[in-house]
Amino acid sequence: MTRLIRGWPLTIVLAAVFGLSVGPFYWLAMAATHANSEIFSYPPKFYPGDQLLENTRKLEESIGLLNVLGNTLFVAVVQTAGALVVSLLAGYAFAKFTFKGRDAFFVLLLSTLVIPGGVTIIPIFEMMNDIGLIDSFPALILPSLSVPFGIFLMRQSLLAVPDDLLDAARVDGAGELRVLVQVVVPVMRPVLAALAVFLFLGAWNDFLWPLIALRTPEMHTLPVALASLQATTRTDFGQVMVGTALSALPMMALFLILQKQFISGLLAGATKG
Amino acid sequence: MITRRNVPYVLILPALAGFLVFKAYPILAAAYISLTTGAGAARSFVGLDNYVRLVNDPLFWTSLWNTGLILVVQVPIMLLLALVLALGLNSPFVRLRATWRLGVFMPSLTGLVAYGVMFSVILSKESGLLNWMLGFLGVDPIDWLGSPFWARIAIVIALTWHYTGYNAVIYLAGLQSIPKELYEASMVDGAGSIRRFWSITVPQLRPILLLTIVLSTIGTLQLFDEPFVLTGGGPDNTTLTISLYLYQNGFRYFDFGYAAAIAYALTLIVAGFGLLQIKLTGGRK
Amino acid sequence: MINRRGALALLLLLPITACGGAQPEAQAGPVKITVWTWKPASAGLAAVARDFEKANPSIKVDVQAVGNPAIWEKITIGMAAGGKGLGDVLHIGVDYLPGYTEKFPGGLADLREFGADKHKDAFAKGLWPTVLGKDGGVYALPWEVNPAGVFYRQDLFEKAGVDPATVTTWDEAIEAGKKIKEATGAYLVGVNKPAAGGADMDFYQMLLQQQGAFYFNQQGEVTLGGDAAVRAMTLLKRMNDAGILADISGEGTFKQLVSNGKLAVLPWPAWAVSYIPEMRPEQKGLWRSMQPPAISSGGKRAAIVNSTYLSVSGNSPHRKEAYAFVEYALTRPEVINKIFKEGGVFPALSAAYTDPIFDRPDDYYGGQPALKTFTDSLAEGADATYYSSDYARALKIASDAQTQVLTKGADPAAALTQAAELLAQQTNRKLASG
Repeated sequence: MTRLIRGWPLTIVLAAVFGLSVGPFYWLAMAATHANSEIFSYPPKFYPGDQLLENTRKLEESIGLLNVLGNTLFVAVVQTAGALVVSLLAGYAFAKFTFKGRDAFFVLLLSTLVIPGGVTIIPIFEMMNDIGLIDSFPALILPSLSVPFGIFLMRQSLLAVPDDLLDAARVDGAGELRVLVQVVVPVMRPVLAALAVFLFLGAWNDFLWPLIALRTPEMHTLPVALASLQATTRTDFGQVMVGTALSALPMMALFLILQKQFISGLLAGATKG
Repeated sequence: MITRRNVPYVLILPALAGFLVFKAYPILAAAYISLTTGAGAARSFVGLDNYVRLVNDPLFWTSLWNTGLILVVQVPIMLLLALVLALGLNSPFVRLRATWRLGVFMPSLTGLVAYGVMFSVILSKESGLLNWMLGFLGVDPIDWLGSPFWARIAIVIALTWHYTGYNAVIYLAGLQSIPKELYEASMVDGAGSIRRFWSITVPQLRPILLLTIVLSTIGTLQLFDEPFVLTGGGPDNTTLTISLYLYQNGFRYFDFGYAAAIAYALTLIVAGFGLLQIKLTGGRK
Repeated sequence: MINRRGALALLLLLPITACGGAQPEAQAGPVKITVWTWKPASAGLAAVARDFEKANPSIKVDVQAVGNPAIWEKITIGMAAGGKGLGDVLHIGVDYLPGYTEKFPGGLADLREFGADKHKDAFAKGLWPTVLGKDGGVYALPWEVNPAGVFYRQDLFEKAGVDPATVTTWDEAIEAGKKIKEATGAYLVGVNKPAAGGADMDFYQMLLQQQGAFYFNQQGEVTLGGDAAVRAMTLLKRMNDAGILADISGEGTFKQLVSNGKLAVLPWPAWAVSYIPEMRPEQKGLWRSMQPPAISSGGKRAAIVNSTYLSVSGNSPHRKEAYAFVEYALTRPEVINKIFKEGGVFPALSAAYTDPIFDRPDDYYGGQPALKTFTDSLAEGADATYYSSDYARALKIASDAQTQVLTKGADPAAALTQAAELLAQQTNRKLASG
């Protein structure tokens, strides 16, 4: 009885919040199905039009959609995987070992969290040019492998793992690598999943650095390719809307897949620091 | 060979390498740039001139004030909303929780281009979605982007839309980790739901509240996307933030030395805030 | 200079470089030059690039649509990095060109090296000084020029009983605007009053340019507080007070006003001749073009609003080939007109205007030869403006002043005087006297 009485009003409130959150996306999805000249009509259009295929075809023609999605996916996956490994290793070292300069380095690392990204972009660009890496996927991926936030999160979570667990494995004769792979990774899976979502989000939406670092259109990532559609007043928003709507899909899928572990993962990182 | 003795150094090596090349070096390079003026072949060393100029620049102070104002208003509202939302999502009485959860998280997936187009459509005075909806409630069209007051509110609304769900999901994780036994014991003692919230939920959530406060504060002090795509810092600089001013000086005015000085000023402020917050909320590394 | 930074980076990144990130420029085979531009101009340029390659088999041209505004970030970072990583040929607007030449010496190639001087009389009047650096170098060739114009809704004017031919000054336009508002509910002109998402100063700048004025004079002194500036701002204020100046802030607002027939006049330059039919195909026959009304009776109606250029990167190893392409694309009437037909970029090359396309009646404009308005303007002696290397600051400050006047009711003279002082102080320039 209370379930019924208490559940419905709360569900309705949440549904309203859901509507406010998703409403703009719904508008975006509908806009993707209308011609450029019809998109900004008033009152707004909340029903689908018949231009989705046409917009998609034009988008494919202007940016090579599949290729661009492939590039973005490749860069985001490699970058996410790489940063996960780097964060795990460093977090593990910070949490479970004592070594010279540990605390000083940790503080330095954290303090870089606050430097605005725009400041470092020119020196990094010059450096990439000097070593001939510009216009390559490594140029996109390398600068984002050592992520202070990721290292911080891993360290905080690993602090909560009892040392006994690791020592037990060592007593059994496991080498350090095996301890890491067979003991630490399974325990950390939820946090790794959580971190994966954050890192992937960042990599997928990254704009300024890929714009600067890439020269060949065939290598463009989705945000860079979408920017190439912009032409002050003559932007074809039909294409932009399709591209934008498409770009949200992989992240939604990832969230759905990882959300169970994601939710318990965040908890491990944040509550036990 | 990896041994117990050298293992921490091996583990830290990739992070250290990345840090030195892509963080430490560029940051030091930017420090040098902040002491110069001009660019390329025309660059020259000017000592602390850029910092002196900063202190005397009314626009820098305006941007600092705007950023602080948005911070003070927006972060508490957003985090409070996120907490309430998380409590709702955590309630056992609610149906379709997974659906609401995805929906609430979706705004944080939005890239910059999509975000700009969506909100400039939503906030347009004559033909925006928001004024259209308010129209049904009998509210006269609000000049979201044109009035100094409403433009700031518009930034707050957009920010809140963007990140509330993100924080709510973090809180939800925290709520689910609170042992059920604590609540059961307290119910036996006859505590009401409000008292349970204050005596159990809040203290248990403390570490996670701290995490979100620190991250949101740093994020808001670096606020760039929203004013960049929505207001361009206007009208008349009422939504000009520090990061946006930095961008304008570097990328629009080609004044890289000054932009770097702004960055260092911002960094000092952010670091100061971080330390203060950690101190106030009871020291945690 | 192999410095410590390079050495360190090299050491750490060697494994990755070794497996094939870096590709040294191939020496054998044709030289490849890269052109950075944006849509839709890119389409026209790409078309003539193929012709150029046929005539010059040793050069390959890769035309890339980077997008506008993304292209400015890309060029600016390359310039700041000493010209590294830039495209060989760069499409640059008049608003950025002086900044790049003055603030990044050597960033753009001095084209005198390849004899670019000989084209100095080939382009629309007033354009050549805009390509010159302070050292007298030639840093670009003009590609596009946008003479000022206004497009008006013939049907709305008719309904309000206003004969467009009698609107020869902006004072008369304001009176006409009041009648149109009363009869049709349409605004005269739209401006993004709060400058949401960026400055919208094109209309104001046109009113300045018609008076031969701008934010700076030819000596680079600040004129933002001068008589011409105040006169133009006062016109805007009067339109605003009369309720005939629409606010077009917000992405969709402008398009809706146009599609609902709520804007009677678009004060747009030449590029819009091809854009309006694209934007509102169903309004065929309703629009006409004419020269903008003068500021004062008998005053000048023509002006050049803006222009864009092709430059060659100073750091490019293939400057000669890059210039060969620029010269091919921009100095031959048949080639530039092919670009015009494909990409809608109004040519800066004077010899181009003899093509029949510029006199041809246009069905969309009710049979009016809409382009002729603009070639007439140029013939009448429209002049180009000195944007200066501090244009971006001037634009921002002027835009703030315009916002103050239009949304807070500030006094034009007071707002502009203050703006001019701020601009002078920020840029270390002198205030022009008088």
